[in-house]
Formats: sequence, structure tokens, C-alpha cells
Amino acid sequence: MDNEGILQGLQDLDGRQAIRIKIIGVGGAGNNAVDRIKLDDLGQVALAVVNTDTKTLSASPIQEKLLIGRSLTRGMSAGGEAEIGRRAAEGDEELIAKMVDGVDLVFLLAGLGGGTGSGAAPVLARAAEKAGAVCLAFVTMPFTREGERRRQQAEDSLAELRESCHAVIALPNDMILQQVDEKATVLEAFAVADEWVSQGVKAIWSMLFQSGLMNVDFATLRNAFRFRGGKTLFGIGRGEGEDCVQKALADLDLCPLLHLPEYKYVNKADSLIIHICGGPDMAMAQVNQIMDAVCDKFGSRQNTVIGAVVDGAMRDAIQITVIGATEVAAGAANAASARAAAQRRRMAAASGAAANAAARRPLPEAPATDVNRLPSKEPSASKKASQDEFDFKVDDQRGFFDKTEANLYQGEDLDVPTFLRRGIRVQP
Amino acid sequence: MAQSRIVAAVEIGTSKVAVLVAEIANGRSLNIIGTGQATSSGIRKGHISNQREVCDCAHAAIAAAEKSAGAQVEGVYLAMSGAHLQGFADSGVASVSAADGIVREDDLRRARESAKMRDLPTGRLYIHHECCGYVLDGRRVADPVGMSGQRVETGYWHVHGDERITADYLHVINGIGLDVDCIVVSSIASAGVVAGEEEKKSGVLVLDIGAGTTDYALYRSGTIVRTGVIPVGGDHLTNDLAIGLRMNARYAESVKLRYGKAVVDANDKNDTVMLIGDLTIGDRPISRMSIHKIIHARLDELFTIVKNQLGSEISAQNLPAGVILTGGTARQAQICDLAHEVLGVQARVGECPQWVSEQSLRAPEFCTALGLLSEGFNAMRQRQSERSKSRWLGKLGGIFAR
Repeated sequence: MDNEGILQGLQDLDGRQAIRIKIIGVGGAGNNAVDRIKLDDLGQVALAVVNTDTKTLSASPIQEKLLIGRSLTRGMSAGGEAEIGRRAAEGDEELIAKMVDGVDLVFLLAGLGGGTGSGAAPVLARAAEKAGAVCLAFVTMPFTREGERRRQQAEDSLAELRESCHAVIALPNDMILQQVDEKATVLEAFAVADEWVSQGVKAIWSMLFQSGLMNVDFATLRNAFRFRGGKTLFGIGRGEGEDCVQKALADLDLCPLLHLPEYKYVNKADSLIIHICGGPDMAMAQVNQIMDAVCDKFGSRQNTVIGAVVDGAMRDAIQITVIGATEVAAGAANAASARAAAQRRRMAAASGAAANAAARRPLPEAPATDVNRLPSKEPSASKKASQDEFDFKVDDQRGFFDKTEANLYQGEDLDVPTFLRRGIRVQP
Repeated sequence: MAQSRIVAAVEIGTSKVAVLVAEIANGRSLNIIGTGQATSSGIRKGHISNQREVCDCAHAAIAAAEKSAGAQVEGVYLAMSGAHLQGFADSGVASVSAADGIVREDDLRRARESAKMRDLPTGRLYIHHECCGYVLDGRRVADPVGMSGQRVETGYWHVHGDERITADYLHVINGIGLDVDCIVVSSIASAGVVAGEEEKKSGVLVLDIGAGTTDYALYRSGTIVRTGVIPVGGDHLTNDLAIGLRMNARYAESVKLRYGKAVVDANDKNDTVMLIGDLTIGDRPISRMSIHKIIHARLDELFTIVKNQLGSEISAQNLPAGVILTGGTARQAQICDLAHEVLGVQARVGECPQWVSEQSLRAPEFCTALGLLSEGFNAMRQRQSERSKSRWLGKLGGIFAR
């Protein structure tokens, strides 16, 4: 793929520098993920790693390295304490600011639950926000078996990340690793987790840089992620062979990330990016077919951005990536940030791009079911909306046990099918 | 003997009401003379949600049992389950009052009473007191009466339940004009049937996985150590299948019974089974793997909850006799393999004792009702033996007093 040429073209067209992308891995798991991306060689993307641990940093093949908290931990890791990770990052805020300075799109990769990942990632996200970059975070959540404490640290950190990132995609390790077959080594298992992260990054990268039938530019991407504090929906489906479209759609349907309970009620995203990557033989009819099916499933057509690119390596194969964002805040704690996001949105709408703003303004949905699911798409009612949706979510999943008392055990409703709660993919 | 020789057992379960009527012949053998069964409605997860429906089906089942037995039932043994049941252990102490240091029945009574002293919070009532044996001056003895010592201790496992829920169940039986002689916790009733005395002595866990609840009872040294209820059962499997495979509950139930398996086998990956199997409209192939995955996830979670609740009690040392599974869900294929994998001890599906001759009653679904009968039978025998013992003790006491 000749990225050089495309980039050159971009520069010529708007007479300014091409967008700058940086992938930053935070903490041990983040560093590993970035190392793996380096092997994939995305080109045109700067890679960087941030850690409190000198040993991991020096082992990494990445050029740009940043050791934080040198005075705090003397380069000997945060020891699983998120508080130490956070203080280390805050102590070196200037260095971090320099790292994200002038970057348009920051990918933050981290494994939450540990010290550096959970503590430093939110600080980096805030720095990126301050620098005016679009910040997308791909984070892995710890295994249930790692214990309550790590889970709590991860949850806290995730909530914090959602406030300052444009999109946070959380990948539960539990769910990812159940796909690995039993005989897999630990290394292979973690490679699968990293694979998910790099697939996500790659999808967005190819959207921006690969030549395509329908291109998505950076401004569109930024627009799609203009809400903060909401949940991000993310799924990948891939199909090969003769009826690759059907296969890819079926695979997307089974994508475990879309079966997590928390996504059950963001299944109507407020803005949606559908990215289709196919071989040179991909037909427009195929693209239309995918668009129809995916729009139908995940959101309204008004706020959907579609990209379709051609990759020479993808002969007879199609990969669909769906990234969606919701305005609805995850909970009462996030209501404030959702309101702030709404305000930003209004300001953006007022300042310019009237035509765009009209298209973006949520239109009243026609089908009755949609009205039930989202009683009001107005952000001012976001708190109420999330409450109503919560009811819907519970009713939808309990089936026979609908209207009986919740069967709570360690914070989970046992009446909701186990496979849904664990995100096990099941072919209907 | 004035005591009625007819024993009736009623189990109002989430899927069915089972009624067994038995006759105690010569005070030593138990003959089942009547059975009645009705499909339950109005019960979910072991709780009554529609009193009238439950009354109707319970009455139908009892009437059928009376008819087939040709006898009138007066009082029943009623099984109790549901998530409202809770248990705790408590012990009582009494010093031996007699000057000669011989333990009398009265000393035991005082020890027992002191073990039952603890007041429950309002709205709760005791359902069952299970005596876990006696300790006489540090020695474990089964029956200390007649032995000499100074201090007798007794341990109890108390099960208590919600007053209103219990009252609801009692009203169902009282509504047909019958008395409830005794309420027995389901887990204890079914354990009494599927676990033998030897197994109870060495240590065994009985898991009764019914339609709405899973009842467990843990035995060691021949007595109950713990009981408990988890409000998850076969209905959850059905519901999971219905949601996961997008079918109605009736088909899901039949798929569960026909193709259910507790472990996921990679060989089944491309295998499909037909939803209905008679090629009618709406019949479609379903992936066998999906069925197994859904059932595996649910049962795996269930066993994990059991493991979490019992903690270190579940180990090869503490449970040499392993785990015995019973209840309708125990029919799921390879459930023992999964139980073994999760709990780490040997597991097997419980078998009915030899005295149950009728083949249809030997199914795991009936073991709670059978357990109730044997509880009733034991209670009757105990009353008889107490009567004879007290006569014998009276003589003994007379000799020493001289």
C-alpha cells in the first residue's frame, strides 16, 4: 500500500501537514501491545511507550520511551498500586505534555488493574485532551480471578478515562481469553488480547490512510467521537470466501465484544462508524448490503459514517469494523461529564458548519420500539434516559424470570443468562 | 398404637408437585401405596408467586395420591426450599445434674434448649433444628444417655426462613383441610435418600438441583454440617437456552432434555440438531455446540457458587465420599464430569435406595419426596424407641438409686 503517495496528496490538497497519529502504550501490558503493533508495521504512525519500570522499558524495541516517576519509584515499577502510578505520571506531567504535543490522534493502550496502567493512563488522557488531540483508549480489563482489588482499580481508572477520552474501548480479558483453546500457552493467550487491540487500532488507521471507495477523513472521525463520558461500542467481523459478506455479518453478530452485558443497552449508538475493508474485487452492492445490515442493527442512519477501503491483501475477504459512541452517560457519576459533552456539542453546532449541525441534531425516531428504548435523545435528559434504559436492559435479558425479584449474587443478577454475563459467543 | 400408620409427603416444587403416600407396616417397613403428581404453576425459583394456582395444582396432586392409595391422608410432611432459607450453627451446654454423674434425658433436653435459645430477627422463624451429635466431656458420642460425665454439649444446625413465605406454603396445605405434621428442608430430605450412612460418616455433599433452586447439604461424621439454597436451577438452563437460541420456553425445555450436556466438546463443533425434529414449519437446525456452551456456562457458574459458599469444606480430605447430584437437572449428560472439574472432588448421580421398588419413583426428581417419607418413617420409629427406652432407663435409674 502506497501510503506515502496518499499522504502527499492530502498535504497538497489542504496545504497543511498530514495528521499525526501516536500510539502510546502505558504500563507493562500497554508496552507489550505497542511492541506487537510495531511488528505489524502500520507506517506513518509514531509509537511510544510510557512506564514506571526501567526493565520493561529497556526491553521494548520502541524508539520513544518515557520513564515516569523516577524520583518516586526509582524505575522499579508501581508495584500494582494505581495511586503510585498516578502520582508518578502527575510528577512528570511536563514530559507527558511534550509527548502528546502537536499530535492529532492519540491511541492509548493500557492494561487496567495494575499500577502504571490504571494510574498513569487517565493522566495521559487528560494531557492529550489538553493538547487538543482526539484520544482513543483501548484498555484490557483484568481477569475476575485476579481479585476484587485489581478489578476495583480497573473500574475506577476506566471511569476516569471515559471522562477525558473521546472513546474508551474496554476489552475484558475473561472474555477474550475464553476463545483461546485450552492448550494455548500463556504467551499465546496474551497475544490474542493484544491482537484485539491491534485490530482496533489498525481498523481506524486503515480508515484514515488506505485508499478506498469511501474515505473517512480525520474531521469526520473527530466528529463521531465528539461525546465523552459515554460508552463505546466496538466490534469486528470477518468473512472469507464466496459469500464473504454474509459470513462477515454473521461473524460480527457473534463478536464477543458486542455481547457484553453493558452493551446490551447501547445497541443503538448515537453515532456510528462502519468501516469496511475488502479486496480489490469488492463491489459497491456488497458495501450497500453491509451498510444496511449494520445500520439496522446498531443505529440510525443520520449519524452513521461509512468508510470502505481496498486492501490488496484481502482477496475474497471482507472485514467489518463497527465503532459506535453513545451520548448516554454510563451512570449518575458520569452525568456531569455527559452534560459537559452536550455543552461542547452545542457550542460546536453554533459556531459553524450549519449543514453538518442540522444533520447531527438528533431527529425524532419513527419506529415505536426506538422511542421506548430511548425516550429522549436530548442530552439534558441523559440521566433519566440511562435510568429508563437500565430497566429495558434487565427486562430484555431475564426472559422467563421477567418481573420476579432480582437474584443478586456478588453484584450479578443470576437470572440473566450466564453466557450473556460472561460474554460467551453463541451461534443462535 | 394410636399413631396413624399412613405417612404422606408433599413436595411443592418449581416444576411439579409430587405427593407420595406410604403405609408403615408393623412399624418397620415402609410401603409406598399412592402417588400423585401435578405440573406446578405459580412458582418461580421456589417462591410462590400465585397462591391460587399453587393451591389448585397441590390439591390436584394430593387428591390423586389419596385416590391411588385408597386411604385418607391426615397430616403431611412438607418439603421447604427457596432462597429465603438460611442456616447457622449454634451449640448448647448443660452440666449433668444427677449426683451420680449419669447423663439423663433431662440433661440433654436442657442442652438442646440452650442451643435453640437464640432469637431470630422479626419476620423469621425456625424451620428445622438438626442435631449434630453430642459431646460429653470432650468425647464425641452419639447418645450420651446412661453414660457418666459432667458436661454435655450439643451442636445444632438451625435453618430459618421467612415467616410469610413459610406461611404461604402452610396455607396451601391447610387449604385442603390437612395438617402439616412437619416441615423438612428439601436438601436434608433428599440427602437422607441418596446418601448412605457410611457416606454421611465419612463426609459427603448432596446437591439437589431442582427446577427453581439448588439445595445442598453437607455431612460429616454422620451429621449435617451445613445446608443451603441457591436460587438457580433447571429453569435457568431453559431460560438461557430460550434467550440464547431464540426459541420459546417450551422448545427450549425439550432441547435441554434431549440434547443437554454439561461439558463443551470440540468434536461437536459442526454438529447440528433439529429444534423440533418433526420437520414442521419453524423447525430449524441448531448448533449442538451452542446448546452445550450455554448449559456449560450456567452449570459451571452454579458449581462455582457452591464452591464459594462452602469454601474449604470442599476438598478431597473433607469429602471422601465426594459429591452426590440429584434432582431433575442431575439428568444432564456429563454433569458429574463438570462437577468434578469445578469442585475438585469425585461426583456421581445419586441412586435411590433399594426399598423403592417402583421404577418410576427412582428418578432423581422424586428423591425429595422419598426423603420426606423416610423422615416421617424415622420420626415414627424414634417415637417408638423413645417410649421403650424411657421404660428401660427408668429401671436402670432405679438400680443405681438403691
